[in-house]
Amino acid sequence: MKKLKAVILDEKVDNVVRQLHEYGIVELCDLSEKLEDVEWKSLLSPSSHADYVRNVTTLMIKAGKILDLFSNVNPKEVSIKDILNPKPIEKKKVQFNTHEEVIEYCEKVLNEISKEVDEPSEKLNELENRKSRLLQLKDQISYLKGLEFDLKDLGPGVYIYIGCGSVPKEKVNELKSELDKVTEEYIEVFTGEEFEKDNKIRVPIVFVTLKEKLESVLSTLRKFEFERYDISDIEGTPKEALQKIESELKNIESKIKSLIEKLKSLSKKWENKLLVVYELLSIEKERGDAYSQFGKTNRTYYIEAWVPAKDAEKAKKIIEESSEGYAFVEISEPDEPEEKIPVLLDNPKPIKPFEMLTEMYALPKYNEVDPTLLIVPGFLLFYGIMLTDAAYGLFLTIVGLWTWKKIGKVSEGAKKLGYILTLAGISTIIMGIITGGYLGDFMYEFLNIDIYKMGLALVNPLGASTFIKNGPIAILEFSIAVGLLHLLIGLIVGFKENIKKGNTGDAIINQGIWILLILAIILGVIIYLVTSNMIVTIGIIGVAALIAIIVCAIKGFQENGIMGALLGAMDITGFLGNVLSYARLLALCLATGGLAMAVNIMAKIVGGSIPIIGIIIAIIILIGGHAFNFVMNGLGAFIHSLRLHYVEFFSQFYEGGGKKFSPFKANREYTTT
Amino acid sequence: MVDALLLGAIGAGLAVGLAGLGSGIGAGITGASGAGVVAEDPNKFGTAIVFQALPQTQGLYGFLVAILILFVFKTASPWAMFAAGLATGLAGLSAIGQGIASAAGLGAVAEDNSIFGKAMVFSVLPETQAIYGLLIAILLLVGVFKGAGAVSVAALGAGFAVGFAGLSGIGQGITAAGAIGATARDPDAMGKGLVLAVMPETFAIFGLLIAILIMLMV
Repeated sequence: MKKLKAVILDEKVDNVVRQLHEYGIVELCDLSEKLEDVEWKSLLSPSSHADYVRNVTTLMIKAGKILDLFSNVNPKEVSIKDILNPKPIEKKKVQFNTHEEVIEYCEKVLNEISKEVDEPSEKLNELENRKSRLLQLKDQISYLKGLEFDLKDLGPGVYIYIGCGSVPKEKVNELKSELDKVTEEYIEVFTGEEFEKDNKIRVPIVFVTLKEKLESVLSTLRKFEFERYDISDIEGTPKEALQKIESELKNIESKIKSLIEKLKSLSKKWENKLLVVYELLSIEKERGDAYSQFGKTNRTYYIEAWVPAKDAEKAKKIIEESSEGYAFVEISEPDEPEEKIPVLLDNPKPIKPFEMLTEMYALPKYNEVDPTLLIVPGFLLFYGIMLTDAAYGLFLTIVGLWTWKKIGKVSEGAKKLGYILTLAGISTIIMGIITGGYLGDFMYEFLNIDIYKMGLALVNPLGASTFIKNGPIAILEFSIAVGLLHLLIGLIVGFKENIKKGNTGDAIINQGIWILLILAIILGVIIYLVTSNMIVTIGIIGVAALIAIIVCAIKGFQENGIMGALLGAMDITGFLGNVLSYARLLALCLATGGLAMAVNIMAKIVGGSIPIIGIIIAIIILIGGHAFNFVMNGLGAFIHSLRLHYVEFFSQFYEGGGKKFSPFKANREYTTT
Repeated sequence: MVDALLLGAIGAGLAVGLAGLGSGIGAGITGASGAGVVAEDPNKFGTAIVFQALPQTQGLYGFLVAILILFVFKTASPWAMFAAGLATGLAGLSAIGQGIASAAGLGAVAEDNSIFGKAMVFSVLPETQAIYGLLIAILLLVGVFKGAGAVSVAALGAGFAVGFAGLSGIGQGITAAGAIGATARDPDAMGKGLVLAVMPETFAIFGLLIAILIMLMV
């Protein structure tokens, strides 16, 4: 990372921001905090959003409203076919040099769209309001059964007021007497047929009272859980009114339908253009907002940005060219504490997708080693060993390729995952061929081909093959050996890192003694294999282990006294745990093969014991069982490979916790320049 | 000498029964969390299913060992069969812990999708114990070790060692659940959280070690 500092003439700054945004190779630094400082304050004043942001925001709200309307009338149906084979979005080529041009263009398009869309949308709104009002009326009038009167009489007259509503049945009598009391009997209350609402029996009432008594009537009614019905603009008895409302509703319904059809066709016509406009505006807004991170003087702007070292010269050139020379650019080494410097992983293309796995744990700190390259071989090898089945591997490769090539067209994440799965699938095929797994022991159960006796596979995870007599033990030994090597690699990297930082003591205590122990184990095993002399082997390993225990105990003693020493001496179990943890390679390898075998055995028993239908059930068991086993163990292999890296491998050398480099970059989905 | 399949049948029963018990409870715990998450957002159904699948693997291991005992390694020593079932079954109880961790993982993912991978890694930690149980079971069944510790009644000791030590998975699940919460709040806590969550595994490793020593030495 380099720090880029530039002073730019105010007339030219807009173009500079535009160009930097298009190229997307720098991360702008927010200077507002720095400008609080007295010394900086005397030189620069903080800058605020560019003026045109307000216009842009207004237009964005307008465009957003129409987009909402479109998505309401024309809901996007996402079919499984679209998910599995999405079509990439057609990008529109755009060419704008200033924000004025963009705003002008967007305004023009939006006006055009408004002209056609506003009228039907307003009408739709009106109709929908009317519809909900009618539905409410219909609901309320339908409760007024048994009350025959003209609805137009409701409301205030010259002297009297007529109102209606409903009250709980059990309170009617009490209410009547109470009303008589407060109005001195200047009231008439009529009740209709009772009905049920929200599990309560209610009775509709109509009351006629003097206008001047209305206030006291209403306040009394409120005490009796009165629900007032607001019925107006309608004539006739409740029955007639209901008929009228029904026919009007039908009429509105058909009008709404035709309006929605119209809007649908409008949305088809305009939606893509509108999305382009919305994206253009968002990009402009981002640019305008960026100004708030700058500092300024009377006629110039001052910007600071992070830029990856390899892009530094390019960024400098972009600024100088886009400002036509009215800028001063300086590139320097980072002048801030390491934890503030953003981190950008830079790996060659074939292993770039694996950065995803590093990021899932934590990005390396600035100047820490990037573990991505170290993950790749181990991850693929472990995945292959844990899934070990050529048929499953082939299927995984197909799934991976599909995700990579088809779904990956629109999703960066899917592209990376697909790539990783494809490689993992190939690794699984290779491991499957070595261990003779083709849908478990399908060949043996159904086709009577014994792969292991024919010498087509190197090792049999559940028994003997022509080459290796005891399969499980061979795989176990292999797993432990791989584990030791894997840990050794991690330890050596950690050792080098510590030396680089100048912590020689840490390097020896944290990594050196374990490297010594692993080397002693390797040496001991070689001696045993060559001379069959167990005593020398045990001696060599024992001495190395003893050294490790003593060093750990001393380290613990220095930190926490006697207790620390005892705990430190137990560190060796942690090391042992790390090594034994790799035994899961064998266990998961057996789990895949074993479960596949269990499926085959079940299918065979069912197929053999029930005539005709049995064969069908057997096929169902085979497909379902193997699909289940594939998914379960495919997932398991993925996570357990990750675990071996995150827990056992990373603890030897990697800490992580860096800040991600997030460039100031125009995010273009619908447009291209 | 007892009839081989007599003890083998008991072993197979223990394997499926105990591991099924663990998986059932674990999947139940995750399922309860899943029901809550799906009620909030029906789109999370797939995620819930994935997390609920994790504590079910122990039951599968139990099933696998039962099949291996009954159909494949019929010639293994009867006590080894018994011990193999015991090891897988008891260690399968770690599914309870995995269920707790998965429930927390699912909850965290429901809030923030981007944490899926991390939650997955934590949720899968308490499976190690079950894998060790499976490992010892396989070692017993394939008959690598010929000593009394692997073929006589002493083999039960190996089964007990790795099986009961496998219960550390419950504790590990609780730690992992806490660590998921911490990571959800601060993604950088992942490394330290892993260190803490892996601690309870030490005892599973002791169990595994003693089990191997019993088979090797006795």
